[in-house]
Amino acid sequence: MRINTWYISSFIISLVVAIPIITVFTSFFEDTSNYFEIIKNTFLIEYILNSLVLLIGVLILTFIIGVGSAYLISFYEFPGVNFFKWALILSFAVPGYIYAYSLTAFFENYGTLYSLLKSFLGEGNYNKSIPKFDGMTGAILSISFSLYGYVYVLTRASFHYQSQNLLELGQNLGFSRKKSLFNIILPSARPAIVAGLALVAMETLSDFGAVSFFGISTLTTGIYNSWISFDDLAFANQLSFFLLIFILGLFLLENLSRKKAQYHSLARGGIKKKKKIKLFSFKSFFAFFALILIFSITFLFPVLQMLYWTIIFPKNFIDLNISQLFINTLILVILTSFVLLIFSFLSNYGNRVTRSKFLQYMTTFSITGYAIPGVILAVAFISFIAWLDNTVIKFLDLGSIKKVFIGSITGLVIVYFIRFYSLSFNGLKSGYERINRSIDESSYLLGYTKMKTFLGIHLPYLKNSIFLIGILISIEVIKELPITLILRPFNFETFATTAYVFASQDLLEAAAVPALFLILIASLFILITSRYILKD
Amino acid sequence: MKISILGIIITLISTIALSAEVNVFSARHYDTDIQLYEKFTAKTGIKVNIVSGKSGALEKRIVEEGLDSKADLYIAADAGRLGAFDAKEMLQSGLSTEIIKSLVPSNFRTSKWVGIAKRARIVYFAPERVSATELSGLTYESLADPKWKGRLVIRKSDNIYNQSLVASLISNNGKKSTSEWAKGVVNNMVRDPKGNDRAQILAVAAGEADIAVANTYYLALMLSGKKGAEQQEAAKKVKAFFPNQNDRGTHMNISGVGLVKGAPNKKNAIKFVEFLLSKEAQEHIVNNTFEYPMIESVSPHPLVANMGLDFKQDLKTKVVNFGKKQADALEIMLAAGWK
Repeated sequence: MRINTWYISSFIISLVVAIPIITVFTSFFEDTSNYFEIIKNTFLIEYILNSLVLLIGVLILTFIIGVGSAYLISFYEFPGVNFFKWALILSFAVPGYIYAYSLTAFFENYGTLYSLLKSFLGEGNYNKSIPKFDGMTGAILSISFSLYGYVYVLTRASFHYQSQNLLELGQNLGFSRKKSLFNIILPSARPAIVAGLALVAMETLSDFGAVSFFGISTLTTGIYNSWISFDDLAFANQLSFFLLIFILGLFLLENLSRKKAQYHSLARGGIKKKKKIKLFSFKSFFAFFALILIFSITFLFPVLQMLYWTIIFPKNFIDLNISQLFINTLILVILTSFVLLIFSFLSNYGNRVTRSKFLQYMTTFSITGYAIPGVILAVAFISFIAWLDNTVIKFLDLGSIKKVFIGSITGLVIVYFIRFYSLSFNGLKSGYERINRSIDESSYLLGYTKMKTFLGIHLPYLKNSIFLIGILISIEVIKELPITLILRPFNFETFATTAYVFASQDLLEAAAVPALFLILIASLFILITSRYILKD
Repeated sequence: MKISILGIIITLISTIALSAEVNVFSARHYDTDIQLYEKFTAKTGIKVNIVSGKSGALEKRIVEEGLDSKADLYIAADAGRLGAFDAKEMLQSGLSTEIIKSLVPSNFRTSKWVGIAKRARIVYFAPERVSATELSGLTYESLADPKWKGRLVIRKSDNIYNQSLVASLISNNGKKSTSEWAKGVVNNMVRDPKGNDRAQILAVAAGEADIAVANTYYLALMLSGKKGAEQQEAAKKVKAFFPNQNDRGTHMNISGVGLVKGAPNKKNAIKFVEFLLSKEAQEHIVNNTFEYPMIESVSPHPLVANMGLDFKQDLKTKVVNFGKKQADALEIMLAAGWK
């Protein structure tokens, strides 16, 4: 191993990404006010309990929907199966908070459902018979429906690569379909399912938009409130400790399963095309019905609710400066994807060239930024910049860096970078793993420099990966709310922040227009990449 | 790509070129406010830069930016927030100009922050199920009366409007008596608190509860039709009642603006606050947000006026207490089991 430019640059990148993560946990060891000493213990238990209930609820629901739909689509033939295969991933386009708006609007007293019932059945007091999906139930539903896609995509991929021989073995042993499912199919897909659920769990724990809309206090909102509203760092520290334990556990679980998933899924030497079982009459109808239900509930419902409002209140549509929002969103999307891809390349290549164990650990640590809730990350970033400015920069008499990083596009892009670094780094890594190292060696033997190897060989090889990752980052950036809300510059709104601002003044109707555009743009991006998402 | 870089450059140049500006951090987000700010720019040539968000995060940003903060003004939708921010020594004096003092009653301002609009936190009732005799002489204090058992809805204890209401009760009746009161109120709740103020009013309209506590502008918003025909109809099933008419008057809270310590554009900021208190701005505010005007020469939106204008406002309890007693208020509510 040699210390060279590649080593240093990828070390620095990892460090930059890791710093705010360290700040989150070190900044809590400062002085603290004892604002709510007496009631703290009640809070702590409530936050942990709420987080647990939310987590378990979401995991159960995403497991049933994600695995169930993947199973039907992978093993059976029925009308619409090819449509559902990609249609179900559209749920990625609907952020949890927008689902929450739709759910509330539809089911509340005198809400959309009431209007529908009234126009079809005439006057009547329907409010009492309309179920109310708010509070914890609402949060579980909103988050599950926006996240089950992770479980679906990963499980389906695993089913897809599952050995046909294994299935035939089951049939030869005279297993019923049910027995095959529980004894062969599910166990061998377990790593993929666990990986999907772990992703869902991390997103659930860091959710801010949906839970705060429904007024559920979780560990994340608890940290936000005690740290930001009450300056109670000690309590925030306590809470983050618990959150950290949750997340670390999940992170390990996910990493472990990912490794196993690769081991299980990469059926080298080609996959025998699976014979799908054709379903008839009642069963075929049932499969179709189940999937159209999932598609309608998770995607069509929020889209239609938003569309309904946009049509009923056209003024909101006319008043909104859509092109400005579009340009703003585009600026963030392009800058973030660009920066992320470049740096992920640098550090991936650095890791590859130097083969340093230390560097690998460093990178693994730095990608945990993904597990830190965006809302906490944004505030940690502000604190870090302020600290840096007040100590190092002031000492060196370099003026102030706060204006450069806080409330600027630069700052926003940096924090997006930290948050989505793992997405981009891991994506490229799996692309890189498919390029045999001997190709690099040959290139060097032929006298190519490292840079030339990188530009001439790796880049063309990874074209598809780059495209896919770029789009995935874009979808995340378009949906992102808390970081944008906290760090954006003056007079700068995106679709997500505009929807939030309207929703917070209790004008969900007006929030519908930006929300609708957000979903449509994200959907478009998803459709472009659906081929790649479904393949891996 | 070209367009976006051009966009950035244009934004940069335009912010540099227009050096006369005022930077506003706003936790009170009304898109219509933007039109108001444009009027100010047209009048004075001072550009209004705005960033909105959740109050906690905005405050944190101002605190951490410290003396380098660009923030001139901080707008919040509750006196409790401004008071708490002032307690962190993040505001400075400068808002006691003659104009401001002549326009704003003294209980709605300090030298560091000043109210720009008022809202009353009142009781809504279903006339079908609540009689005039039952209501007569209703006070916030009497919401704890067992006769309302299983009939009352009110939102969560983490809501700042509730915290300010309870803070005002603590100022008037003391901590001990307010603790007892909170227990009574929790006993009377028909369900665990959930939803915003409008959801409480809707619960009364839908027959889930007989009385609700909510701010005045929520009903007006529904009556305006901005929430659709259904909610407009629902709002008509509910009537407003102004509590404590026989003693100190109905609990009033404010939307207000504070002058941030180290504000780089202090003069412009004060000018802007005075503009917000002008007749033109006040009319704009009351017609878009359905709040009560801060100055006397402007009348509220007709929908708000219809709810009753000649009620007695609590001008005795200083709104500055809301911030001071906020922690006590939350503690009392939580101890009473107010979710």
